[in-house]
Amino acid sequence: MKRFFARNAPAYVFLLPWLIGFFLLALGPILASLYLSFTRYDMVSAPRWIGWGNYEYMFTRDRRFWKALEVTFTYVALAVPARLIMALGVAMLLDKGLRTIGLYRAIFYLPSLLGASIAIAILWRQLFAADGVVNQVLAMVGIQGASWITDPDTSLYTLVVLAMWQFGSPMLIFLAGLRGIPRDLYEAAEIDGTPGWRQFTRITLPLLAPVIFFNLVLQTIDSFKTFSSAFIISNGTGAPADSLLFYTVYLFNEAFKFFRMGYASALAWFLLVIIATFTAIAFFTSKYWVHYENERD
Amino acid sequence: MTRLTRRALLGTMGAAAAACALPAMPAFAADRSIRHYWWGNPERDKRTFAVIDTFQKKNAGIAVSGETIGWGDYWTKMATQTAGRNMADLVQMDYRFLFEYVNRGALKPLDEFVGKSLMIADFDKGPLDGGKVDGKLYALNIGSNSQVMVHNKRAFQEAGIDADLINWTWDDFAKACEKITAKSGGKMKGSDDLSLMIETFESWVRQNGREFYSPDGKVTATAGDVTSWWQMWADLRKAGVVRDKNKTVILDPPIAESGIAVGDTAMSHYWSNQLVGIQAVAKDKIGAAMVPHKAGGKPGQFIKPSMFLSLSRDAKDTGAAIAYMNAWVNDPDITGILGLERGIPCSPKIRAALAPKLTEVEKLSVDYFTAIQSKVGPLPVPAPKGAGEVRDAFMRIGTDVVLGKVEVAKAAGTFIEDAQAIIERAQ
Repeated sequence: MKRFFARNAPAYVFLLPWLIGFFLLALGPILASLYLSFTRYDMVSAPRWIGWGNYEYMFTRDRRFWKALEVTFTYVALAVPARLIMALGVAMLLDKGLRTIGLYRAIFYLPSLLGASIAIAILWRQLFAADGVVNQVLAMVGIQGASWITDPDTSLYTLVVLAMWQFGSPMLIFLAGLRGIPRDLYEAAEIDGTPGWRQFTRITLPLLAPVIFFNLVLQTIDSFKTFSSAFIISNGTGAPADSLLFYTVYLFNEAFKFFRMGYASALAWFLLVIIATFTAIAFFTSKYWVHYENERD
Repeated sequence: MTRLTRRALLGTMGAAAAACALPAMPAFAADRSIRHYWWGNPERDKRTFAVIDTFQKKNAGIAVSGETIGWGDYWTKMATQTAGRNMADLVQMDYRFLFEYVNRGALKPLDEFVGKSLMIADFDKGPLDGGKVDGKLYALNIGSNSQVMVHNKRAFQEAGIDADLINWTWDDFAKACEKITAKSGGKMKGSDDLSLMIETFESWVRQNGREFYSPDGKVTATAGDVTSWWQMWADLRKAGVVRDKNKTVILDPPIAESGIAVGDTAMSHYWSNQLVGIQAVAKDKIGAAMVPHKAGGKPGQFIKPSMFLSLSRDAKDTGAAIAYMNAWVNDPDITGILGLERGIPCSPKIRAALAPKLTEVEKLSVDYFTAIQSKVGPLPVPAPKGAGEVRDAFMRIGTDVVLGKVEVAKAAGTFIEDAQAIIERAQ
């Protein structure tokens, strides 16, 4: 016990601000929302206990709930790999040892800082509008553009592209990971005449696995929670034809547009279950593909 | 608790300085204070703060603080404040939310003040009764309006359209669309595509002899109504005489992006109190036509209270609140500031007082209002809970129809099923 504290005390000191915030600010509302998820509550009259009613409705009768899941899962399945590949690619380019690497790092990180903001979502909407920049550029090379955002077949992909563009934070983490790979491994490979792509699959990827794992988990959680870009681009509705009905947008509308706080709370708890499941799967499978350098076999 | 302290403090500060001229803040040592909350736009906010200013000058003992926000967030904030038992004393109310708030006990009836501190004896009875729930007056009408087809006068003239725009039919409308499109060589289409406008669709249902909702809150519009509506617009789209489908599926665009404002089309559907706002952003002179009639059909339009003022459950100083409310509808200095921006006032005296000073577009809306009096049906019962969501569903399913991704009849069936399910669940 004593040794435990001696070893972990610094960690807890660093965690303290978060812990204080959690217990003072977050815990109450979290528990309240768990309670509310078993009630019907319109914010004006008092909450009324309905047991599992909200959850039952969600799974058996709510078509838009399934639609929201479909949209969100599609997005996660496309956006997470796209962003990670982009991030790894750029990180490897930067790792080549450019002199102005600090500058490039900052520039490439910029979209991630801006990406969550409302302004970028509005900009995105303009770029991909029927008479937007993207179509004008396409027209210049003789391609007839689509109306990307108002067509339910393409609207989601514009958001995937937006997600791809915000590769900054995983890129920085990848870069740090790449820096940590001992150079002598590559030198040895060079001497043996190993081609570049084999160096990548045999040295870079395995040694980067813990970092990839970390990024994968973070980005998956992040993508499930995507809200502001979808909300802005679809005018808060999930339009066109529910093709941008992200889970969080649906949840928000249920809560603050139709005043079904109870149902929205149930939706929120189910989202937690989804995210927890995916994280658990990632952790469970990680022992088969993630190896830590200082691990004793 | 903090609110009271802050306000008392502000009051004292105001007394000490005796020179605070900001609107919506206690200007003098006011020992009574009320809050007024409304949804607005820049023009409306300007006028309302001027009203507050005028009222405070005349009633030195009462401080009014104004809170304004756009329609989109208005009801969210209102629900939050209602839940927190912190509603403003006076709240702007809408016909479709009135019953909901009354049923939840969030509003106080006004009957005990009528004739004593709230003088409304000579007001038009119809518009006034729109604020009654179960025989009690819960909301004071501060303006009426009706549906209107706003049109571009120049385009109509150039295309030589001579239809009687009060009595015209959907056939006349289609012909007008063809003429305008042909005349402009396709640059200006005849009309916005109203496929997704449930407000206009409701007129269509009424023309077919039904209400969208029955008095007991069931969906009475039929899949046939929806099919015929969407099919009519599909035909107009095919003929190329209405606005591009990619513009149509942008939901609830601001007035400045409507076809009539940017010059894409010669007609758009709005509410008559928006005429002033549309003229402000449109290049050409606008005119007001009725929603086209169905040949041999029933009246589709109605005159509706556009906005109300209600006394909230949380109001403490009802005396001050009612004094303010009374001034709103009776004091010529105040009604002069308000003009027609919130709709046509239901006091004949006030209307007469406003008449000489009307601008051209204000006169247009008054003339329009007079012209349609005998052509409209009775005010329908307020829509049941969930109506807002039904509106969303209409736009959502309609989007697929407009984009040609689903068959009209099939989509219509889906919509009616969804609408019924939404209403059932909301009760």
